[in-house]
Order: sequence, then structure tokens, then C-alpha cells
Amino acid sequence: MTIHLLYTPQEVEQARQQAAPYDSIWANTAQPEKPASALEQVMLAQDKIYVVLAVVLIIWLGLMVFLFRTDRKIDALERTVEACIPEERDEL
Amino acid sequence: MSDTSTPAAAVNVRRYRLVRNVVAVWLTVMIVAAFLRDIPRLNILEHTARNLYFHVPMWFTMMTAVFVSAYHSFQFLRTGNPLRDIRALQAARVGFAFGLMGLITGIVWARFTWYAGAGIWWNFDPRQTMAAVQLLIYGAYFVLRTAVDEPRRRGRIAAVYNLFAAATVPFLLYIVPRQMHSLHPGAEGNPAFSETDLAPAMRPIFYAAVIGFIGLFWVLYTQRVRLAVLKKRLQGDPEF
Repeated sequence: MTIHLLYTPQEVEQARQQAAPYDSIWANTAQPEKPASALEQVMLAQDKIYVVLAVVLIIWLGLMVFLFRTDRKIDALERTVEACIPEERDEL
Repeated sequence: MSDTSTPAAAVNVRRYRLVRNVVAVWLTVMIVAAFLRDIPRLNILEHTARNLYFHVPMWFTMMTAVFVSAYHSFQFLRTGNPLRDIRALQAARVGFAFGLMGLITGIVWARFTWYAGAGIWWNFDPRQTMAAVQLLIYGAYFVLRTAVDEPRRRGRIAAVYNLFAAATVPFLLYIVPRQMHSLHPGAEGNPAFSETDLAPAMRPIFYAAVIGFIGLFWVLYTQRVRLAVLKKRLQGDPEF
């Protein structure tokens, strides 16, 4: 398998120049004074993929909570049905 | 054979809970690993290669689901147990949902790799087209079920159709796309297991993802079987 370089240094410089007009709003504002907190240092690394991971995990865990709660409702419903439907049904 | 047991005990709830809890933890770990483990960085693909962990298992899961469904359809024809009909229907439904997610994630992935710069979302690539046809075949199964009112007749007709539908799966998802020119990996071989299409660094997470999503299918399918049996009992169906 050949592994290609994603971007050449020229391409990086070109991208930076193309982005410059969009950065102008921020160029005039004061840069944040505070050094990056430990949390920021982690979350902003690796092209900020950790932020995506955090979002996906929140969604996934939210769906799992939903699944578990639905199961508890089914459990309760099954108990109710068992209690309400008389046993003589078994003789049918 | 479980066909002699009462449908009220259709689902082993204790086993269901165990599998559900394992699947929840398993897939959570797998998602973290899918984002954090290093992958080979390739042009065009870049980080989208990580989609392999999510998009491809959708199809493995869909195929597992339709064969579970076909198995229960076969057993329904053999024994006439209405629980088999319920299982066939619910497995097909959950499998259809996974297939739909596979198709949609494939469209998004292709848009920003194959068709980046071209600005198209759909170009009738053979693999995608056959996958869409496959979903339509299962769509017809659900429509067919609504057309017959008498439960036994509906179960029989649907089961026979379902067996034919399952028989088309290997052709539409495996054989035909490989006979045609497709941009999809694996047009020249077996993509999931070949040496060149799946980097060694990506294999463990990919296989873990396939197992995890098939487990998730089983959980959702079993949950729906429980609900369907409950509904039958509440409707006063004498067989439940």
C-alpha cells in the first residue's frame, strides 16, 4: 500500500492565504489572554477530532438511555398484561 | 424445539438484558477506538476512511438480519407457529432500517470522495443501485403483508415471498456489482477480507464493529418481538 502525503507545504501555505480574508474579523480582536486549559489542549488536538468524538458519544449514550428506558416500560407492561389476562386462557 | 413452548415465553428476558448490556459497552468502546486509533492517511479518503467502521457494518448487519428473517419464514412454513411469522417480520424491519442507514451513509461518503468537485449525490453506481433495488424488494415484503387480512394466509404468502427476497441478496449485493464497473471498493474481489482493501491497523476495530452492530440488531429485533407478542396478547389473540 502506498501512503501519500496529505498536503504539500506549498498547499498548506496556499490554504492559509485563501483563508486570510475570512480571518480578518478575528485579526483585529484581542487574542485570548489565557493559555489553553488542560481540557482545551486535549480537545483541540488532532484537528479537533475529539470534539466530534464527544458529540457522537453524547448522541450514542443518549440513544442507549432511551433503549434502556423503553425496556423498562416493556417489562412493566408485560407484568401488567400477565396480571390482567386470566389464567384460564391457558386451557384454550 | 422452541415451537412447543408458549409464545408468552417468546423471549428469554434475562439473556436479552445480558446481551443488551454487553452490546452497549462494546459499541461505546468501539466508537471511541474508531475515532482515536491511528489510520493510514490517504489522499481523497483522509479521515473519511473511518467511515469503514460504521458504513460497512450496516450492510453486514442488514444481511444477517434478512437471513434471520428468512430462517424464521422457513420455520413458519414448516410449523405454522405464528411466533415465527412475528420474528420474520421484525427481523426484516430492523434489517431494513440498517440497510437504509447503509445506503444513506454511502451516499454521503461518496458525495465527498468519489464525487468531490463534481457536486453530485447519486450517479447510479452499480453497487448503490443494486443496494437500493434490494431495499425496494424488502419494501414490497412489508406492502404485501398489508394486502392480506387473514393471519395464516398472510403469514404463508409473506414467508414464501421472503424466501425469494432473501435469495436475491447474494446476487444484488455481491455478484452483480462485481460484474460491472463500480467505484465502490471490492469491484475486483472481496473487499472486507482482501489484503489490499483493508489496512491491518483497521481490522480489529472493523471486525469489532461488525460484531457490535449485529448485536445491536439482535437487541432491537428482540425488543420488537416482545412488543409484538404483547400486542397480540392485548388483542386477545387466542394463540398468544
